[in-house]
Amino acid sequence: MAERDLEAMLARMAANKVNRRSFLATSGLLGTSAFLAACSGGGGSASAAPSAAASAAASTGASAAPAGDVESELFVYNWSDYISPTNIDAFKAEFGVDNFVYDIFANNEELIAKLQGGASGYDICCPTAEYVPGMVEEGFITKLDMSRIPNAATMNPAFQSLWWDPNNEYLVPKDYGTTGILWRNDLVTAVPESWQAFKDLVVGEASGKTVMVDSMGDVMVFPLKLLGYSLNSEVESELEEARQILLEVAPHVLALDSDTYGDKMANGEASLTLGWTGPLGQELADLVTAGTAGYSVPSEGTLFWMDAWVMLADAPHPNAAYEWLNFIQRPEVQAEETNFNLYATPNDAAKEFVDPAILANPAIFPPDDVVASLEGAKDLSGSAQRLDIWEEFKSAIGG
Amino acid sequence: MTAEVTHDVMEPAKPGRLRNGLLTTLLVGPAALWYVVLLVLPLAIVVIFSFGTRAKNGGYEPGFVFDNYIRALERPDPFIASLAMASAGAIGCLLVGLPLAYFIATRAGKRKSLLILLLVVPFWTSFLIRTYSWLIILGPDNGLAGVLGGIVGDEDFRILGTPVAVLIGLVYGYLPLMVFPLYVTLERMDRTLIEASKDLGAARWATFRQITLPIALPGLVTGTILVFIPMMGEYVIPQILGYGRTYLMGNALVTDFLEARNWPSGSARAVFLIMIMFATIAGYLWFVNRGRQARDVSVL
Repeated sequence: MAERDLEAMLARMAANKVNRRSFLATSGLLGTSAFLAACSGGGGSASAAPSAAASAAASTGASAAPAGDVESELFVYNWSDYISPTNIDAFKAEFGVDNFVYDIFANNEELIAKLQGGASGYDICCPTAEYVPGMVEEGFITKLDMSRIPNAATMNPAFQSLWWDPNNEYLVPKDYGTTGILWRNDLVTAVPESWQAFKDLVVGEASGKTVMVDSMGDVMVFPLKLLGYSLNSEVESELEEARQILLEVAPHVLALDSDTYGDKMANGEASLTLGWTGPLGQELADLVTAGTAGYSVPSEGTLFWMDAWVMLADAPHPNAAYEWLNFIQRPEVQAEETNFNLYATPNDAAKEFVDPAILANPAIFPPDDVVASLEGAKDLSGSAQRLDIWEEFKSAIGG
Repeated sequence: MTAEVTHDVMEPAKPGRLRNGLLTTLLVGPAALWYVVLLVLPLAIVVIFSFGTRAKNGGYEPGFVFDNYIRALERPDPFIASLAMASAGAIGCLLVGLPLAYFIATRAGKRKSLLILLLVVPFWTSFLIRTYSWLIILGPDNGLAGVLGGIVGDEDFRILGTPVAVLIGLVYGYLPLMVFPLYVTLERMDRTLIEASKDLGAARWATFRQITLPIALPGLVTGTILVFIPMMGEYVIPQILGYGRTYLMGNALVTDFLEARNWPSGSARAVFLIMIMFATIAGYLWFVNRGRQARDVSVL
């Protein structure tokens, strides 16, 4: 029975094109436009235009509806394939929001670059939580009136009051996931359950067959957690120890690749990947069914990322936005989200409605003790020492 | 009245000169505007940014510091790797492109147009798709690496993820930019010069060195520069075919701008890159022209 459920789940996964975290190839291309958009903002001249529809919304939204009246439009700026179409349709029907616009960005940098470039007209967007404090400082987003989002009351406390929003004022958790180890147990003799085991394999039998995602924040988790430090460490000596570990494994790394690592695992070029869970339901789906591919959350602890709903400061449709934020936290609706995009919901009340096979998958819903060991990432992209380590590592990989 | 008539008669050319001036302005204006808006202004912004500091949440904050240049100097690996890779790529393009251009220009006869067309056709497909297709061609399963590995008996023999794969990708991607300038110069070459050289007893190599090569030199120089410049900033090929293991300038700029969101640092590197390219190309032209001075012909 469990097997049939798993099969059904995998079929759904395969049909799904959710690629929340494999954005590198696109970001390389979109990055250019983001850069240009942001440049124009920096130069103080023209602003980056959001979609034409969103601009139109900004102008019509100027005549704000009286509080309480739900506007007939809502403009959401989000990752691609990240909201269930079923939920969108249900919301439109129930609240009479005829014009639900769902624009997409490829990564947080693009979202922020657009906002820095002066994009307006959006009501809601979904950055990763560590970017929220910066958005608050820049005045992009507004405080939420939590009394208008009663359905968020059943949120798991583990995902609330975190450093990025200590007083739970600005964001509503959307879903979360981890950075860990993808493995092929037919290509390595032991499944790595810890960062130490991962390192031993990388310099040993998986030498030349290990991929890491091309993301500074995620790769740095491995040496720091292996050493028993916080993944957000800014202590110089700790980071230098981490540098030595990275330089030690560098010659053994096959690829830095956030985009096609699933393919490399599937065709056997790679036997290990430091990465995310996305490929389990896509490129690796058949192997997962066959029991030869899987994902470990390392025992020393690892990073969890959490995406969040936030409301923009100049949201033209605040009432519709509040209705949406509350609607999406209804247990059944929230469960449908997880069933659709295969990322774990942080809303406890929703769990009983989630597909049992998905709920039982430790790669998607880690057990409670593992959740307790997870650490949220800070945005440390400004650290000169980290950047220097990352660049030396990248240069050392090529030998 | 009389005075006016005299005036007209005396300076008949003036309205014409005015019209010429207006015409010149109209003709040159768009190009000048183009240069200012799309070249000078962005370049000025990059230079200004390069002295700034990273804003707290990323981006640019005005300032006047040299830290960004110091950092660029402290981590020169991507510069060196890019210089080496672009030089190797330019030489590779030349080694493949010169015989090809020579063949099309002198030996292809009626098939000339067809061959030129075949060179252009791949450009109709996305650069990204063409680069991805090399993953299959060079791949370890049924690709070149698999076949070669089978011959030497090394299962783990690989091309993808090595500098060789990046080099192959570069030569493939930029070859037409080398072939076309070479083709144009060789096509105009006076064939009787070669006959004369042979009549005078020169061997094939001597003819090539003393007749064909000097004639092809302007095209060769143009082609080399055309392929060298974009190769210095290449980002996609090392990322896809090099598996992100060959860390070139383009990749370093992506790290600066998108990962670290440190625009001043990225700008300083970009300015460095521009200066290095200027220096390299100036040195190259000086070297080529020095060789040509004996024959009293200048290139560019």
